[in-house]
Amino acid sequence: MIARLLLGLAAAALVPAIFALLPLLHLAPNRLVTGTPISAGEVLGPWFWPVEGLSALGITLLAACRGRVGSAVAAGACAAAVTLLLIGLGSGADTALAGQPPASRARLAAGAWIGLILLSAALPPAARRAGLPGGGLVAGAGLGALLTILFASGSLDGLSLAREVRSRRDVLGRAILDHLTLTLGALLLALLVTVLLGLWRRGRGAIDLGVSGVQVVPAIALFGGLVAAGSAVLNALPALRGYGLSALGTGPALVGIAAYLLLPLWRGLEAALRAPDAESLDAARALGLSPRQILTDLRLPLGAAILVGGLRVASVQALGLATLGALVGAGGLGTLVFDGMAQFAPDLILLGALPMIALSLAAETGLRAVEAAARRRWPR
Amino acid sequence: MSRFAPALGPLLLGIVLGLGSHPALASLVGGAAHRPLTPGRLTELALNHLALAGGGLALVAGIGGGLGLIATRARFAAWRGSIDTLAALAQAVPPVVVVALALPVLGFGGPPTLLALAAYGIMPALRGTVAALESVPPEAREAARAIGLTPGQVLRQVELPLAAQGLVETLRTAFVLSVAVTAVGALAGAATLGTPIVAGLQNQNFVAMLQGALASAAMAFLGDALLLAAGGLLRRE
Repeated sequence: MIARLLLGLAAAALVPAIFALLPLLHLAPNRLVTGTPISAGEVLGPWFWPVEGLSALGITLLAACRGRVGSAVAAGACAAAVTLLLIGLGSGADTALAGQPPASRARLAAGAWIGLILLSAALPPAARRAGLPGGGLVAGAGLGALLTILFASGSLDGLSLAREVRSRRDVLGRAILDHLTLTLGALLLALLVTVLLGLWRRGRGAIDLGVSGVQVVPAIALFGGLVAAGSAVLNALPALRGYGLSALGTGPALVGIAAYLLLPLWRGLEAALRAPDAESLDAARALGLSPRQILTDLRLPLGAAILVGGLRVASVQALGLATLGALVGAGGLGTLVFDGMAQFAPDLILLGALPMIALSLAAETGLRAVEAAARRRWPR
Repeated sequence: MSRFAPALGPLLLGIVLGLGSHPALASLVGGAAHRPLTPGRLTELALNHLALAGGGLALVAGIGGGLGLIATRARFAAWRGSIDTLAALAQAVPPVVVVALALPVLGFGGPPTLLALAAYGIMPALRGTVAALESVPPEAREAARAIGLTPGQVLRQVELPLAAQGLVETLRTAFVLSVAVTAVGALAGAATLGTPIVAGLQNQNFVAMLQGALASAAMAFLGDALLLAAGGLLRRE
């Protein structure tokens, strides 16, 4: 009881402490320098006390309370705190920028990031504990909708990240599309190879050695090696260039990403095929089921959850590796990240990184839900 | 000898890849038009790479292993379920992105690389440590307690020796991860074996690129072989 009380008190002090210690915004004369810090009281103005109170309430309830009602109140308080914090940051940025030259920027500082991450991380567990079906997914979708509405209404426009989004809308959309294409392409390629490898039952030992060996090679080395090898082949056989083949671009990126996805997919397939126990298999054979029927009626349904688990790990890996694909000229969100690194422009790096992280988290939680559904549908 | 059999493949592969990164051999594949890195420069980069990866490995193994030890003590049993979820969520931010995000804060060079290593490596190390310690049969722990060993003695004399193989396996994963993230650190200006790859992609020097790629892969395989051999030594026959 006392431990829980102490935990609750510590949680209540968390957000106020962060706001007291760290600035919420940096006001900079242009998009490349850090600028001067602005504290929470100054940025949030009238929103300061509501945000502090709501976040303290939400996080304390989440830490100290296990019941459904308490958790629902916690979720509501955290959601309200995030909303008010975002609105406050937007209007605070507008105030700070008033009367400044047009090149000046109001950039989110450490306090704002930590506060936003804490409050949004508190939402999914609170929603789940409150008994909301698919709590994590609903909370994530709600946050996305909130950001979209606030962004479209223009109340975030003072923030430098929102400006960067507005000025590069087309590039960003294109990059997200390329990123998804690259990810899905690599996943499909790896799935195809995995199924083909799965058919070769006698080479299982060699395949296992091969797919785990690939994991040892650093990703950047594999990409570099593929490009170097590709250019050597093209130099030896220049005629191949006529078919549109090139040492740089989507080709090596697809092959490189897919190579790393083989391990989770292969392990998933192997474990899924072994999912039914020996007695079930014997019973199925005794009933006169053909090997094909055993595969479709027994092995695949029982192994479905494991298969989806492999797919989940592979998808998150593919989304991350696709970022590195920009290095070999395959496009995607990595382009924005690397441009931002070259220009030393933090907002541009974030513009590439945030959608990438959001996509990974969406893939992780989405496929985790599918995995759980498959486990419920076909219990072992 | 059979203890070391699993290490032989990676060892041979590492030696072959390492030899392949020699300028004379890499030029055969990459074409003579480009200027290869001298063996001296390659060694310098490799040593730097090894130092940075080793530092990161120490950081990851220390923090991840320590947290894993704490998480497996009886009074923290309630936290174990969230470790897997947290570990999975931490993988959503790939090392490239951590390096990129750390760049404006920490500047060029080693620090962003080390931060990326910590951010990306600690959760897998923690999960591996927990899995290794949980593989210790509960009867062994009970028996040790029954003959009057203190919790510290149970840990040192029963749990750690029984979990040793799993712990070395965790270290192996962490090492491979460290070498890979350190290579990515070249993007933030750290002088590692990733540097010739990144530079080679920019100025189309495919020989230097091939050398960097082969050498960093060789380092990963050699370290892998070393830790596989260590795991073999610890195995109980």
